[in-house]
Amino acid sequence: MFNKMAEVRENIPLSGGHYLLSLYSPAQARVTRPGQFAMLRLPNRSDILLRRPMSIYDVKPASRKSKSPALIQVLYKVVGRGTGAMAELKGGDALEVLAPLGHGYFREDYQRKLPQVDEVVHVAGGIGIAALLLAARELHKRGIRQRLFFGGRSRADLVCYKDFGGLVQKTILATEDGSRGHKGFVTVPLENHLAGSERGKILLMVCGPWPMLEACVGLARNYGHPCLVSMENRMGCGVGVCLGCSIGVKGEGHGAYERVCTEGPVFWADHVRWAGGTPEI
Amino acid sequence: MKKSSSAKSKKKRGAPRPVGRKAKGEKFTPDMTVEIAGIRFKNPVLTASGTFGYGQEFAQLMDLNRLGGIVVKGISLQPMEGNPPPRIYETESGMLNAIGLQNVGAKRFLDDKLPFLRDLDTQVIVNVFGYSTEDYVRTIEILNQGEGIAAYELNISCPNTRSGGMFYGSDPKLTHEVTMASKKVARVPLIVKLSPNVTDITVFARAAENGGADALSLVNTFVGMSIDIETGKPRLSHGTGGLSGPAIKPLALRLVYQAVHAVRIPVMGIGGISSAEDALEFLIAGAKAIQIGTANFYDPRASEKVIRDLEAYCKRKRVDLNRLRGTHLGFEAAGLKRE
Repeated sequence: MFNKMAEVRENIPLSGGHYLLSLYSPAQARVTRPGQFAMLRLPNRSDILLRRPMSIYDVKPASRKSKSPALIQVLYKVVGRGTGAMAELKGGDALEVLAPLGHGYFREDYQRKLPQVDEVVHVAGGIGIAALLLAARELHKRGIRQRLFFGGRSRADLVCYKDFGGLVQKTILATEDGSRGHKGFVTVPLENHLAGSERGKILLMVCGPWPMLEACVGLARNYGHPCLVSMENRMGCGVGVCLGCSIGVKGEGHGAYERVCTEGPVFWADHVRWAGGTPEI
Repeated sequence: MKKSSSAKSKKKRGAPRPVGRKAKGEKFTPDMTVEIAGIRFKNPVLTASGTFGYGQEFAQLMDLNRLGGIVVKGISLQPMEGNPPPRIYETESGMLNAIGLQNVGAKRFLDDKLPFLRDLDTQVIVNVFGYSTEDYVRTIEILNQGEGIAAYELNISCPNTRSGGMFYGSDPKLTHEVTMASKKVARVPLIVKLSPNVTDITVFARAAENGGADALSLVNTFVGMSIDIETGKPRLSHGTGGLSGPAIKPLALRLVYQAVHAVRIPVMGIGGISSAEDALEFLIAGAKAIQIGTANFYDPRASEKVIRDLEAYCKRKRVDLNRLRGTHLGFEAAGLKRE
């Protein structure tokens, strides 16, 4: 984890108010692991005080000739003041980036689960897709079978899923308005799949809005599959000192809350206290 | 890690330089040290409680030995779990928090956190929180067993716990009582951290002074609120929270100025300081040192920059830092020559 001035290379608008921001920061890109995040400080905006936590969507070489990752890519949706200001970033702008943060998907006890399952199922709700690509690529390298369930309100929300094309064996889309894929919540096709699989043989990796997370966690529990959730929360510092991003977990006293930035952002679903302990954002 | 050691060795190569004021044109090295209650700080810049963890978290991001001091997160007798989320919300140029003093408790602090802090070349101040006078006293008694603590900062101003904290900071009798009881047992100097959420800060400043406080620090956060107009609910689970950040700087400065003139003991200024310019305002208003809080969150090296820029300012003005204190009637009236 370190703080660097990074240059904006691109900030490409996608459908539905989504953007893909590419930042040139080789030292940070090289050491990023799947599921980690970055804190971005928006330049020239004294009213926007705090850095914004953003999943690192992808790391890439800066040119075709090079193989070593040099770009950090952040996939985001404009939802408020911070992301609104991010949308105005242009190539050549410089901003402070603190990264990579959190321990991501590949903590030791998460890894130990992998040999016991037949398939990893990624479930993304909307912008939650941003936390999953690097994990999918790493699992692909290890030859693990994968499947992606991706849901959104309408097809404009279903961004970048083609990046998963070569990595997962199957992609299942769902939209609430039926403009693409299955009409309705993504949890419906997900349930069909989980119901048809042997108990405990699927590892779920879920990222999305709170009601969707809760629904997926419920399904995983019902069908007996282990489930990892990538949590988001408002953050003050991103390095574990402000304790602002804590969520409720199963623990006593001082251990009743854990920091999304430090103990997370990826948690075992059954470690999280879903009722009352977790903010709906 | 210790950049200071390389700087020292550079100095040694040349002839020893006398410190202090010199004739114009010659290189001037300002004296940045301050002394508060017998504690010598290498510079007047400390990091504020609750914004710097236990120091360790920032070790990768800056040279901790540059700091005048570190005030660690509030420590209570027993570990505290803190408030349910959401705990923070950003406002215009500020932030609201209601963390609720989640901390490891005094015993684990001594075992797990203090050894790292003790080895640093900076002053370590421990912020102490309690629900009752007895709580404060017993926490201090435990902390007294630790080596390497320079002072205690009595937290009678946390707005985010159901009892204790600000309860003690909003009744002058209780401020006096808890200060006196804590001072009686404290093995190291006692700083009392005041709440801004009172009608007359001078009453509380004097109550702490009369109770035996060695110094004051102010301000803690201003109680504030934000409401989500879509749900109709407060943004924080606690309902209200403490406002910090640049938004509170002018409010804090005025309270520090008033407190400085109400007591004889030294005052540390806190409230929205993120630059050397901000720090200078507090020092000129009469604060002997300053603490940097919320700025640590968005700029982990804020304190380092403030130290560097303060030194550059003193060099430019050709003045030792201590000469600036309380010069709010203008530098000329204070006998300092204008540049």
